[in-house]
Amino acid sequence: MSVTTKDVEQLIKKGRAYSTRTKYREALAYYEKALELDPSNPEVWCLRAATYIEIGRNEDALKDCEHALSLNQNYADAWSKKGYSLYNLGRFEDAVHSCTRALALNGNDASAWYIKGVSLDELGRTAEANEAYGKSLELEIIFDMQADLKRGGR
Amino acid sequence: MKTDMPLSRPIRLFVNQTEELLDTEIALLRNPEADQNGTLVDVYTYNIEKNIILFPPHYTGLLKDFIIARHCVNLLIRGAAAKKSRYLVCSFTGDSVYKGIHQIYIDALKDEAKKAKKLPVQKFIRMLNILYTNFNNDINEFPWNPIANAIVYHRIPQIRKTQLYYLMKEGKMDMDSMMEFEDIIPRRYFVLSKSMFYARDLYLARILPADELMPVINIPQMKKFNHLEVKEMLTTRWTQTSWYQSKIFGDAMLDIMEKHLQNIDWNAEPCLDCFHDIYQIGVNMTNHFISYMSMQGWFVWETTKHLQDAQGKKAEYEFGALKKIFGDLIEKSSFDGDIGYP
Repeated sequence: MSVTTKDVEQLIKKGRAYSTRTKYREALAYYEKALELDPSNPEVWCLRAATYIEIGRNEDALKDCEHALSLNQNYADAWSKKGYSLYNLGRFEDAVHSCTRALALNGNDASAWYIKGVSLDELGRTAEANEAYGKSLELEIIFDMQADLKRGGR
Repeated sequence: MKTDMPLSRPIRLFVNQTEELLDTEIALLRNPEADQNGTLVDVYTYNIEKNIILFPPHYTGLLKDFIIARHCVNLLIRGAAAKKSRYLVCSFTGDSVYKGIHQIYIDALKDEAKKAKKLPVQKFIRMLNILYTNFNNDINEFPWNPIANAIVYHRIPQIRKTQLYYLMKEGKMDMDSMMEFEDIIPRRYFVLSKSMFYARDLYLARILPADELMPVINIPQMKKFNHLEVKEMLTTRWTQTSWYQSKIFGDAMLDIMEKHLQNIDWNAEPCLDCFHDIYQIGVNMTNHFISYMSMQGWFVWETTKHLQDAQGKKAEYEFGALKKIFGDLIEKSSFDGDIGYP
């Protein structure tokens, strides 16, 4: 492992930690440092996109997702975040398309199912929306039960 | 509504409707510190500019939507009460704390007399304070839970499957809570606490048509509930557990609940008047529960400001009550009013 890769991983870890605590400005600072060291890392572009979404910078998020996808077309998370930012920008048809791509790569992405559902709902495609909501709920419940078990629940 | 996060269409409409009815603003915020059930910080309870619904960040889909919907109902009830009359809650005073703690003390003494291993005095005193506080919290929350759930069920049918999972989870959590203190808490209060949750679960199982609430059967972790109706699921849980005693009291509390809530038209056109009526029904039902549990005089209906001030004086009230009960055996220097369970 090169020193640079290790540094980038450390920066990503710190960025994630700040993001989890909703300290998005600090998280962005770490992701930007990581991108300076390794601009060809699609994960960092995607993480920065996710942070941009949280602070309402959806155009910037979309650009970062597209950058991540230009580096790796099969990056499911980047498709998922692209769908999210497109939904926030009111581009529901495009959001459905991106979420569908994300789900083809990773069918267990509860968030992508949900964004697909809300986008379809906005387009008036209720039956398809309900199907997407159903998948989203199943996954969310499974993750919630697993989280409860980890927390020591019975 | 102040949020950038996606919301399912029915929930977004419900949030908008809540804002319009109350002429207020609701901010939705993810917060790592938020309670699992979400937290409503509202303008009718706190001196703040706008209402905030906080929820845990890991809830991103319909579970988040359900938490938001239920808190919107709570907000509607509180807001209608504040706008149409006064929004009051169960608060406490020095006198009411004494009445509550003294009663718990008398009941605890009866239990202690039968125990081979007595509770150390310090733990015994702590238990009195904590039980009183717990019942104050419960009496301010438990009667409103079935009301909020029934309203969400009737007003937002699209979220029923999510609601089913949530109710099962909530019911299980409440059943499991305090179990490690079963031998410490006087039997009467342990049973009463469990009875409240029993009544709530059974009421919801009855009012929410089971056929529409069939579990999502392709969730592997829920397979064990296959082919069970909600009512059966909830009743089975209670009858097969060690909380069977709670069933007897719980059935009586269920009757109280049904008597008060039977007149609510869950599908009425939403308006401030109807939510104010629901608030009044909730208040009457709470009084009935207080009376049934022989807790008259334990709490006083007062403003939220009064409750917040009372919470600031809680240690002082508790010390005063204990001083009246134990006399000079209680030393202020050795009294710690803000502690965890014994």
